[in-house]
Formats: sequence, structure tokens, C-alpha cells
Amino acid sequence: MDFFAFLVTQCLNALSQAALLFFLGCGLTLIFGIMRIVNFAHGAFFMLGAYVGYSTVHWTGNFWLALIVAPVAVGGFGAAFELGILRRLYGRDGHAFLMVTFGLTLIMGEVIRLVWGVEALQVKPPESLSDIVFILDEPFPVYRLFLAGAGIVVAVVIWQFLERTRLGLLIRATSQNAEMVYALGTDVALVRSAVFGIGCGLAGIGGVMAAPLVTASLGMAPNAVIDTFVIVIIGGMGSFLGSLIGAVLVAFVQVFGTYYFPDFAMAFMYLIMLTVLVVRPGGLLGKEA
Amino acid sequence: MALLELDDLTKRYGGIVAVDHVTMRIEAGEVRAVIGPNGAGKTSLFHLITGVVKAAEGNVRFAGEDVSGLPAHGRCQRGMSRTFQLTSLFPEMSARENTRLAAQARDAKRWMPFGGGSVFHDATRHGDVALERLGLTHVANRQAGFLSHGDQRLLEVAMALAQQPRLLLLDEPTQGLSVEETAQAVDVLGGLFAKGDLTVLLVEHDMEVVFRLAHKITVLHRGSVIADGDPDTVKADEGVQNAYLGGFA
Amino acid sequence: MRLLIAAAALLALLPFGLPPYAMTLMTEALILGLFAMSLDLMVGYARLISFGHAAAYGFGAYACGNFLLHTSMPLPCAVLLAGIAGGIVAIGVGWVCTQATGVSFSMLTLAYAQLLYAVAFKWTSVTGASDGLAGIPRNPGPFGVTWWSGKAGFYYLTLACLLGAFMFCRELVRSPFGAVLRGIRENEAKTIALGFNTRRYKIAIVAISYGLAGLAGALYAPFAGFANTELLFWLLSGQVLIMVIVGGAGTLVGPVLGAMFFLYVQQKLSSYTDSWALFFGVIFILFVLFMPEGIWGFLRSRSRFARKTA
Repeated sequence: MDFFAFLVTQCLNALSQAALLFFLGCGLTLIFGIMRIVNFAHGAFFMLGAYVGYSTVHWTGNFWLALIVAPVAVGGFGAAFELGILRRLYGRDGHAFLMVTFGLTLIMGEVIRLVWGVEALQVKPPESLSDIVFILDEPFPVYRLFLAGAGIVVAVVIWQFLERTRLGLLIRATSQNAEMVYALGTDVALVRSAVFGIGCGLAGIGGVMAAPLVTASLGMAPNAVIDTFVIVIIGGMGSFLGSLIGAVLVAFVQVFGTYYFPDFAMAFMYLIMLTVLVVRPGGLLGKEA
Repeated sequence: MALLELDDLTKRYGGIVAVDHVTMRIEAGEVRAVIGPNGAGKTSLFHLITGVVKAAEGNVRFAGEDVSGLPAHGRCQRGMSRTFQLTSLFPEMSARENTRLAAQARDAKRWMPFGGGSVFHDATRHGDVALERLGLTHVANRQAGFLSHGDQRLLEVAMALAQQPRLLLLDEPTQGLSVEETAQAVDVLGGLFAKGDLTVLLVEHDMEVVFRLAHKITVLHRGSVIADGDPDTVKADEGVQNAYLGGFA
Repeated sequence: MRLLIAAAALLALLPFGLPPYAMTLMTEALILGLFAMSLDLMVGYARLISFGHAAAYGFGAYACGNFLLHTSMPLPCAVLLAGIAGGIVAIGVGWVCTQATGVSFSMLTLAYAQLLYAVAFKWTSVTGASDGLAGIPRNPGPFGVTWWSGKAGFYYLTLACLLGAFMFCRELVRSPFGAVLRGIRENEAKTIALGFNTRRYKIAIVAISYGLAGLAGALYAPFAGFANTELLFWLLSGQVLIMVIVGGAGTLVGPVLGAMFFLYVQQKLSSYTDSWALFFGVIFILFVLFMPEGIWGFLRSRSRFARKTA
């Protein structure tokens, strides 16, 4: 295999991986920016998205429908959870949030285990995306190109959402100064629920998009939340641009690392996380965690 | 040889010079106050002395030893004990347990994972003495979080004192206290210092407090020392009066 | 204190009254109790929330399993050695994880557990990969003693480990070391300002905690006769944390009770429904919201209150 072709295909691989990681990181950082909490259940929402996606495809045969159903269902559930449970915790120390979102992860893990079983589940991508294209004479799955493209689209959409819409403005304002926004008469509580829901929805869409690649399994949750955490730490908690950069960096390290040292994938993540936490606990672009 | 010697101590934050070549000598037994308007660099100077931040230039010598490279807990081990500007205690422990823990820090066997009879015994003794000197014996067994704000500030001083420090560093001890509470605190502290066995560096805002408690005063303005001497001299200094806008006759 | 002696005596007498299957259950309860108690040292006394405690448990199980399978090491020695090995390895883990605080610390513990989980699948020679280690024997003890290979004997071995660990932990939290841990828990910044090198204390408590969890895992391997990746799975880490919180963090006794409660409900509910673990997840959240001091913590504060007002 020609080295240049190899490089190109691996870069495209990394970009598709970055897209997934970006969905996750963006959601987590959005939630942190508004609520100053780290949503430990983020990996579980990702996982739920994958499973909901699986079922939607299983019953309707329509992957595109799953792309809508999964984030809506997961996001809705997230918002409901914030409304019902998380709201009671504002004012208590940070450990309470950590415990409750961890508890939610466990509950979701068990529910998924009950409903879908312990075996990993295959999700078939739609016909139109199942092909292989040839890039510089190397085979490359269309689905991954789709993923990379979707990542770019979503990034732009979110960017515009934050810059142009009223809610986006509200989100940016609240993340800088919640009290001020409150004083101006906005229902901060509503904004919080909305943002939590959006953040979880993003995780959900990441999950359903990831499913055809990695299969839906119970191990997704802890690995996803670790990956997400690393990204957000690198890019800085609360920074949208940071989560983008972090996602790209981590994706490249993961893809090239896995190619050269296939057995050490997990160790890599651990090492990256450690290095980042030691060297730049505040991230490259954001506020202190 | 002075107990604390600062030479050309400098600290920069980005483009701002927070502490500008400060030189100071504090003798054993002295009660020295460092004052200055907001932004004068008092807190930064305090952090440099206690080891919370590293100096860009200059050094800190404590009892003849250059401690410029030592981190905070190392300097504490050498005999510097400090209080915080924002009250920082162990809220669920009793006042007694607070001072006991503070005293324990100076015991060579403070880390013992079993027994500890003698460690606790000695630490409690030092702690109780400190509580008594700060007039807190009557609340010794009350939870620190439930003490009045004034008592909490004094408890902080008691904790620092329980460590039998060679240098006691107080960061705005009357911060956040009402006029009454401040007067009470000043009484207690005055009595504490009157014994003459302590060396104290006091950072303060409140002029009344400073003039009642300090033997010598150092005035900071924009990071540099603009006056240094006994209270009357400093009071009369024109430069100081200008710095504070409107003076304080 | 008298309460504890009574409880210990009761536990010691159980083998004489209980049928064999109940004995097995009690043994498992004691093992889980030890596991939960070990986590309490970190969570309840130092407020270091570990989301990956199964790593220590599984490590102990695999270590002991290997000792028993591949050598003729006596049972109690294998168990103790595995626990000690776990503790030593945990010094390194503790050093790494305490580089961070708060959420980051917890994430690092989880990452380490995931790392071990992944390694267990790959390192076939040591762990048997996804099949795990099977047929772990209860090797005859020193001088050919086989008492603890039997049901009652093994129960007493487990009980001895739990009681020994309990007394050790109790001493520890009441010692000067324990007083510093309390300081770290309530206000770490102040503890540092007082001159304590808190990092060392944190590393030490992580090592002790992981070591005791390793001891529990080491008991599990010969108990069940097998060790597999389930023992390193993140859901198990979650379950043991639930035991600690529901039982009562910071009490040592509470988590043991939490483990027993957990096992009891698991047994009762699993005959009706598969969702007993879900039930616990919900209980966990309810406790965090409404009774964060846990069952034992609640009982203790009630009795203290009663004593004061009596």
C-alpha cells in the first residue's frame, strides 16, 4: 500500500472518528458551560442512542428514521431527568451530582441489559451508505465518509445555533453569568433543562451513528464517558471550539495509535488522560473544570 | 539576623508588576503590619512569603535559610503558620479538634496509622493552650461551623498559634467582621501580642486595627514599599496620605 | 462496641445453625462486605470517589486464582499474598490518580478499571481471556491442614479476614493518620496549609483500600472456584458503591450491612424478576437525594440524638 494513500485513508478514518467524538464532547461541554456539572451519564446516553437506534432499525428497517428517533428519545429522557431529579441537587456539593449521574448510568446500564441483553448488537447501515468507494485505489467505507460529513454539518449547525438564535445567545450568556441572565427575567431553569436535553440528544445521535461501526454493547458507556472527558479536558470545559479541537486530536491519536499499537488502545486513552490532567488541568481553551 | 528577610522580591502577572522589588526585615518578637490600598500588592506579597506562588526575582530568607524554593507546606514545616482571608476551617469538627489537627501537623509522628495516644495528647494540649490565649475555651467543644463569624476568625488564629510557629502570618484577620466584632477581635489579639513572645506579620485593610496592634508598619502602593516605620511616623508621612486619598489624621 | 462484639459472636456461631446453602450465601455476603468496607475507606473517610473499585477486586481474584492453580501455595497464604500484591500495585495507581482531584480523580479510577478489563481479555495466559480461570482449587493449608477448604472452614477464614480488616480499619480511622484523612475530607486546602503533604495520605489510603478490596477478590476466587472478567466489569464497581452509600459511608459497619442487604434483596428479587439490579440503581439515587448518610449513618445519628435528649 502506497504510503500517501495510507495516510489519506487513515486521516479520513480519524475525521469520521472525530465526528463521533465531537458529538459527545460538544454535548458534555454544553452541559458543563451552563450547569457547571460534569454529566457522568453522558456515556450512558451515548449507549442508549445506539440501542434505540438498533431497535428503530430493527422494527422499521429505516436507518434515517433512527437518526431522528434516537436523539429525540434520548434528549427527551435527559431533559425529563434534569427536570425530575437533577434540579433538586443545585446548591449541594459537587459530589452529589457525580453520584446521581453515576447512579443514572448504572440504571441505564441495567435497563439496557434487561431489555436488549448482554450480547453486542449489529446495526446495519442503510443500503445507500453500505458501499465502498476507492480513494487513491484504497477501499474506504462510504459510511465513514458520511460520518465525517455529518460531523462537519452538525458542527456548523451548532455554531450557527449558538451565534444566531435567541436560545443560543441565552446559552452563551448563561454560561458566562447565570445570575445576570436570571435578573433579566429569563427562566434559567428552563434553559438548563433545554440544554441538558440538547446535550444528551447530541450524545444520542453520536450513539446511533456509531452503532453501525462499533455495534451496540454495554461496554460503550464507560469508554465513551472517558473519551468524552478527555476531549473536554483537552479542549477546555465549556468551550465549543475546544471540544472540536479535542475531538480531532483524540481521534487522530486513537486511529494512528491503534494502527501501530493495536493491543494498547485502552492504555493509550489512560495515558492521554493522565498527561492532559497533569499538564493542563484547565484545558487549552476553556475555563477551569 | 532578622527572622524574616525579603530581598528585591518581585512578582509579575502578565504585564502587571504586582510586587515590585520589595525589601523588608522583620525581627523576632516584632508585630509588623503590611497595609496599602486595594491592588497595592499585599495579597501577592503574602502569597510570596508563604510559598503559595513563586517569585520572579528576589528571595525570601527565614531564620537565615533561603526558602524561596520551598513549597507552602515546606515553609509551614519550617515554622511559618498562616491564616486565610476567607475563613477556612474544618466546619464539622469541634473547635478543639480543629486546633488539635493544626498542632498535630508539627508532630514528627503525625502520620501514625495506629494508636496515637501520645500524639493526640500533645496536640490537644497545644491546641487547648492556643484556644485559651484566643479566649475560645468556652466554645471549645462546639462545631466550628456553628461558631459566630468573629469566633471563627479567632479560631483560625488559634489554629495557626497551636502550631507554635516562629512566624505567625495573619491575612486580614478582621475581614468581614462587624464594627463590634472587630473591636472584640482587636482586644483579643492585642492581649495575645502583649505577651511579646510572638513574631507576627499582619496584612490588614482596617487602619484602626493596624494602629492598635502593630509595632511597625510597612505601606505598599502599586507593589512597592512607600513607607516603613513605627505607627506615628507612617501616619504623618505625606506619601502615605496621598496614596490613601484624603489621609487619615 | 458491645454491639460489635455481639455481632461478631453471632456471625461466629452461624455455621452451627444454618443449612449449607445459607452458609454459602453468608460467606458471599462477608466477602462483599469486605469489598464494600474497603471502598468506604476511600469514599467515606477521604471523599475520594472511586468508580473503578472492581479493578482491585478482580485483580485480587485473578492473582489468587493464579497462585492456587499454578502453585501449591496454601489457601490462606494465596489469599493474603494476593491482597498484599493488590495493595502494592495500587500505590502506583494511587500515585497516578491523585494527580487529579474531584471528577478527574474519579474518571482516572474508572479509566484504570477499564484498562484492566481490556487487558484481561487479551492476556490469555494469565487470565484465560473471556473464559476466565476455572476450577480454582482450595489448596491444602500450611502443614496439610484442609479445614478451610470445607464450607464451614472457609466461612471462618472469610470471617477472620473481615473481622481482622475491620479492626485494622477502625484503628486506622481513629489514629493520627485518620485525623488527617478527616481534615482532607472536610477541607483539603486547609489541611495542606497546616503543613500536611496530603498527596501522600491520599496515595496511602488508595493503596490500603485497593489492597483490602484485593483481599476480598482473593477470597472470592476459591469461594466460587472461578475468576472471570465479570469481576472487573464497571457495573460491579457501581454495585459496590451503591452498597457503601446505601449502607452508610464513613461508618465501616454501614457498607458491610449494605452488602448484606444487597445480597439478600438480590436473592429474594431474582426469583421474581430479572431487574433487581435496576431496583438498586433507583434506591441509590433516592438515597443520594434523601438520605445521603445511608442506613447506618441515619441510625447512628438518631441514637446519638436520642442519647443527647434523654
